[in-house]
Amino acid sequence: MNSKSINGKSTEDIKQALQNSLVDGFDPTVAIVFMSVKQDRKAICELMDSKNIDVFGATSCGEFTNNHQSEGEIAILLLELSKEHYAILFEDFVDENLDNAVSKLANNALKQFTNPSLIVCSPGVNQKGEHFEGEKLVKSLEKSLGPDKICFGGMAGDDWMLKETFVFTNYKEAKYGIVALVLDGDKIALNGMAITGWKPLGITRTVTKSKGQLLYEIDGKSAVELYLRYLGKEDKIAEKDFKVFEELSMEYPFIVERDKDETVLKTPMKIDSAEKALVIDIPMPEGSKFWFTQPPEFDIVEEVIEKASELKMELRTEADALLIFSCAGRQPILGPMTTDENEGLAEVWQSPMAGFFTYGEFGRVLNGRQNYHSGACCWVTLKEKA
Amino acid sequence: MNKNLQHILDIVNQSKQLSEGDISAILNYLKKADKDLLISDFKLERTNKVKRTTAILLEETIGELEQKRAAIEETNFALNKSLEELKSAQAQLVQAEKMASLGELTAGIAHEIQNPLNFVNNFSEVSKELLEEMLEEIKNGDMEEVKSIANDVTQNLEKILHHSKRADGIVKGMLQHSRKNSDEKEAIDINLLVDEYLRLAYHGLRAKDNTFNASLDSSYDKSIEKISIIPQDIGRVVLNIITNAFYACNEKKKKLEKEQSGLNGFQPKVSVTTKKENNSIEIIISDNGNGIKKTIINKIFQPFFTTKPTGQGTGLGLSLSYDIITTHGGTLKVDSETGKGTNFIIKLPTNN
Repeated sequence: MNSKSINGKSTEDIKQALQNSLVDGFDPTVAIVFMSVKQDRKAICELMDSKNIDVFGATSCGEFTNNHQSEGEIAILLLELSKEHYAILFEDFVDENLDNAVSKLANNALKQFTNPSLIVCSPGVNQKGEHFEGEKLVKSLEKSLGPDKICFGGMAGDDWMLKETFVFTNYKEAKYGIVALVLDGDKIALNGMAITGWKPLGITRTVTKSKGQLLYEIDGKSAVELYLRYLGKEDKIAEKDFKVFEELSMEYPFIVERDKDETVLKTPMKIDSAEKALVIDIPMPEGSKFWFTQPPEFDIVEEVIEKASELKMELRTEADALLIFSCAGRQPILGPMTTDENEGLAEVWQSPMAGFFTYGEFGRVLNGRQNYHSGACCWVTLKEKA
Repeated sequence: MNKNLQHILDIVNQSKQLSEGDISAILNYLKKADKDLLISDFKLERTNKVKRTTAILLEETIGELEQKRAAIEETNFALNKSLEELKSAQAQLVQAEKMASLGELTAGIAHEIQNPLNFVNNFSEVSKELLEEMLEEIKNGDMEEVKSIANDVTQNLEKILHHSKRADGIVKGMLQHSRKNSDEKEAIDINLLVDEYLRLAYHGLRAKDNTFNASLDSSYDKSIEKISIIPQDIGRVVLNIITNAFYACNEKKKKLEKEQSGLNGFQPKVSVTTKKENNSIEIIISDNGNGIKKTIINKIFQPFFTTKPTGQGTGLGLSLSYDIITTHGGTLKVDSETGKGTNFIIKLPTNN
């Protein structure tokens, strides 16, 4: 399968880049589009439509292709996929019913192929303006598809505005919906993994009082006070408008036990002053065991690349294309090394690459089960089977 | 771009001596150097920031752990105090149980002492009369008769001494039974010990209730050699189980008497058997009482468990017995059939 990645600051740039890519006879059928909410989605979709290219798209919080990383721009991975080997499915969350939409999409995927593999994008912000329930989506998808099916993807972004995100195809677009590039798993192989790098720090903590996304008490003490005091922001406890996500939790989320040998990051998004509680992106039920965290060390970049190389050696395979769903929270932590991470992965796989900075990631840690991730670098290769 | 690198770049760009290829190469190196500098600056800033936050987090955590340690220490102190109090209460309970079993023994002991005392009284009286007779014969000058009487007196005194020693032994045994814990083991003839406590228990019950009657069966294995035990402890176990056995068959008798069918030939019976095994000996105490119900048989060795009416049993007898036997390295087992009777099997190692 041939593939090419293109990027641009505008629709015009993309038009030119697309044109250039077709010169050698390249005939793409699918465009995986990651673009800023500031860009004209309709124009890009019409452009692709005019070339008979099916669009799978999501808005981003920064986007990248080989040798190019940007904010507020457009990144596209073009795939020359046989029409029989893929389908692009789209479902709206009608009446806020995520389970119904996911189940419908999964059943459609199973109707298309007996062994479907999915690239999935969801919103990053839900109808209430809160962080989208990625964990719920993965569980629902796993329930409908079965645990052995492979899914990778990410939650759409909006350049850190945290207001509204979009997923889209040529003709459909939704703030609250799901888009999937369904591949025939017998024809196209997906290989990938998710790595975060955040490590537990200090002693095991227990949630002693919580309700939904509100975390009231940790080890019998006020969660707000404990969190701020332990991270050196004691002076902000009385401050009503303290931006806890931007100032603190993006770097210092909690790490929570999940499944066997797996953990997930859960992040305080804001402080509910009236309730005197931390508002967490993913609920932390009472009794949950967790830790404060230490942000990834700089060698995480080498680790991500090393593990990709090892997997490549182990599978003895190449890649036709590479997609990267990298958590938007990695950028402030790893700075310019985030680019090295993405470039390093493209170097390992020696293939066209596109990706975006996400509000959440879907995938598997090495030998793990299908899961939602936060703070992860989640990458996946596409390879047409011989 | 870094200020210094920018200067170099400007100089390179203005240079007329460098070829285009060289300029391009230098430009590439400068870009790489700039990127490396950028990364170094970023790493330095991040490292300092993370170090500061991590230090605060760890300091707070250490402070919290210190508080927890102090709280645990305090709790530990309180727990130790409670444990000491508990141990003291347990010791008091054990002593109370000893005194309770001493009460059970008292009547039997009184009966046992009465016999030698009767002998002592009788022989003393006879000896007194003989001595008066001897004084008469001395006056009469019949020295042959004096000698004969003196021999009789000597024999009487020997008998008095023998029965006094027997009474002394019983009293010493009683004192031993009631004294505080002693872990001194002695080589003891287990058959003698069992027999003594069997009789004490029986006479004790008889003294308390003269209508009580039971047949006693004993079968002692003569090949059992002395074994090393704490005699007052094992004696307490034997006494407790035998007393329970008498109680059980007496209860059955009372129950049958109340029923229409009557005793129907039932005779309370307690039997004690000793047996030598390879490296152990067994003491089997059996009764033909009502047996122990299956629903409670697992509880009988638990402290404070009793089927006796309130005030008649402490519920500690079998629990203490169990502890005593296991402390001796032995086992205490029960085998019971409802309506037919119960066997208690004490197994003690001979090489203890």
